[in-house]
Amino acid sequence: MRFANSTGHTLKLVNDMSQTGTSAPVRIALISLAHGHGYSYAAAVQAAPNAELVVIADDDAERGQAAAARFGVPWEADYRETVKRDDINAVIICSENARHKEMTIAAAEAGKHVLCEKPLATTAEDAQAMIDACAREGVQLQTAFPVRFHAAVVAMKQAVESGQIGQPLAIAARNPGRCPHSWFVDPDLAGGGAVIDHTVHVVDVLRWMFDTEVTEVYAEIATRMYDIPVDDTGLLMLRLANGLKVSLDTSWSRPASWPIWGGVMIEIVGEDAVLSLDAFNDNFQMSRNEGAPYSYVGVEHSGDPEMVTAFLNAVEHGTDVQVNGTDGLRALEVALAAYESAKTGMPVAIGA
Amino acid sequence: MGGSHARSLASLDEVDLVWLVDVDLPRAEALAAEIGGKATASMEEAFSDPSIDAVLVALPTFLHREAVVLAAKHGKHVFSEKPIARTAEDGRIMIDACREAGVTFMVGHVVRFYHEYSSIKRELDAGTLGQVATVRSYRISPPVMQSRPWFADLEKSGGLVLDLLIHELDTLRWYFGEPKRIFAHGLSYSPIQKKRDFVTVSLRFHSGVIAHVEASWAHATFRTGIEVAGQKGLINYSSDDSSTLRLERTKDIELDKGRIPAIVHMRPSNHRPHLIEVQHFAQCLKSGEPVLVNGEEGLKALEMSLAVLDSVRTGQPIEFDADGQRITA
Repeated sequence: MRFANSTGHTLKLVNDMSQTGTSAPVRIALISLAHGHGYSYAAAVQAAPNAELVVIADDDAERGQAAAARFGVPWEADYRETVKRDDINAVIICSENARHKEMTIAAAEAGKHVLCEKPLATTAEDAQAMIDACAREGVQLQTAFPVRFHAAVVAMKQAVESGQIGQPLAIAARNPGRCPHSWFVDPDLAGGGAVIDHTVHVVDVLRWMFDTEVTEVYAEIATRMYDIPVDDTGLLMLRLANGLKVSLDTSWSRPASWPIWGGVMIEIVGEDAVLSLDAFNDNFQMSRNEGAPYSYVGVEHSGDPEMVTAFLNAVEHGTDVQVNGTDGLRALEVALAAYESAKTGMPVAIGA
Repeated sequence: MGGSHARSLASLDEVDLVWLVDVDLPRAEALAAEIGGKATASMEEAFSDPSIDAVLVALPTFLHREAVVLAAKHGKHVFSEKPIARTAEDGRIMIDACREAGVTFMVGHVVRFYHEYSSIKRELDAGTLGQVATVRSYRISPPVMQSRPWFADLEKSGGLVLDLLIHELDTLRWYFGEPKRIFAHGLSYSPIQKKRDFVTVSLRFHSGVIAHVEASWAHATFRTGIEVAGQKGLINYSSDDSSTLRLERTKDIELDKGRIPAIVHMRPSNHRPHLIEVQHFAQCLKSGEPVLVNGEEGLKALEMSLAVLDSVRTGQPIEFDADGQRITA
């Protein structure tokens, strides 16, 4: 049974695959835990009433087996076999950025819907190929942008739309973090450093919040914190099609001792009010005599469960995902334009 | 600032406050009655008094040049409130006049005398953070356009950029050396500037440091802060986080449903940077030591600020050479 969704794409109805033992309508394979968000997404799948985490595939055997044991599911080494399983109908991909493309296309060609970690890919061509493959195969592609599902971000959008700040005039935003090291600092696997890692979340929120596109990117980018082959310091100055101008700090500027991984901060200056978001500030502070001497713990609201739930619901009901592959591509294009601007020292126009 | 500076000077043992000059003579007379000194509406009268050694200028920005050049002609040392002038040409004329007259010229970049900013300078110079990667600093203020119209007049004062943002630019140049490239977004040339202004700046220094600076006349309360991230660690200062006294107004709150309560963060302190600043000037005149912020320093901060305004207006980056001389026309 097939039907057309509102965008005209033909989507496979998930109940086509109800021959397996589980009654859950959405059956998920998690592919790779190279990106640590995979653990949070797996937990969200297990907490969802309409989904089941069926299997974890990871070619890092130690990591994959540990995760499989933690979540009580089988482990497989080769994702190419996993995507062909007929007891799954969707995959969540948390591999290294450069591997998103091959995994997404393999899953799409096996008829599986895809939730892919951000950034969607390391090049615009790869991202477009992923979008095209999913459209061709009639499966959904969601880019994992949890920030726009964060309750405070949703409330921020509502406050702007309800006129509480009057006319928005300017935005200063930042997504600073600790340096994640590992493959995140390998240019071949990550496609860049702090800028590709931390541009896309805030850009996605801005595109969504103001229903607009980025039209110009100016950036200063450098490697000054660590002895690594990618950038660790980035500052972007963006123009939006709606006329708003935005600054965005993407730096891995938080020392290893920082009490939390980083943060997402967005300040919107309006004619009647200033609205400031610090999305990951909802924590308590803990000081100890041993271990990490000072940390923020506990009540972090990430948006991850809401984002995963939205994907699971879209798969179950055959409705459009709320953040699709094109959203992922548009955010990626801003990061890529930032690298281009930093090379020339001049603003770069995009999306013309 | 004039009244505040006059009170500072009057409180110093090493300074005699002789004249208070104001075109608004009754204002000068009222202050003289309170703190001492003679009042006049004539700069010429005061500056030609052979008993005075120095002049402190707290006029609106566009009038700095006339006063400083006149003081120099009379052989008086000069302290001018920041920014040095409204235009770089005026700033150069003032520096030249003081040099030719052989008098000391200091520009009042008072942030250098705040203990938090001078302490950060000390840590940076000691290498505590190792190589600095990125900096964020901000100076946030309520709108001033209605209460002090000349401040908001771009032609006369340079608006938000020359009044407020210049503090951050001077401080960052003091910390990190000459700028290489400046790019800015802002509202200074938009119609809303009569009501609100907000500017964000991307700076690249020749030392490699990348900085983001934010200045506002669009917020509800005043606050400042700076975060410096380096290879070995991070320094973070924010005036709100450092407040030692908080006022929550509750008067009539029951009668005013839905009103957002005003919370004021305060930091009452015996630390008086404006006093330290003029005391530094007086002591340098006595000892012959160089002042911390001379005319050239003030001019460099002004030129960076003018680059910010130009970038806001043109949408283009402004480049500087290694000596801090502007390359972009």
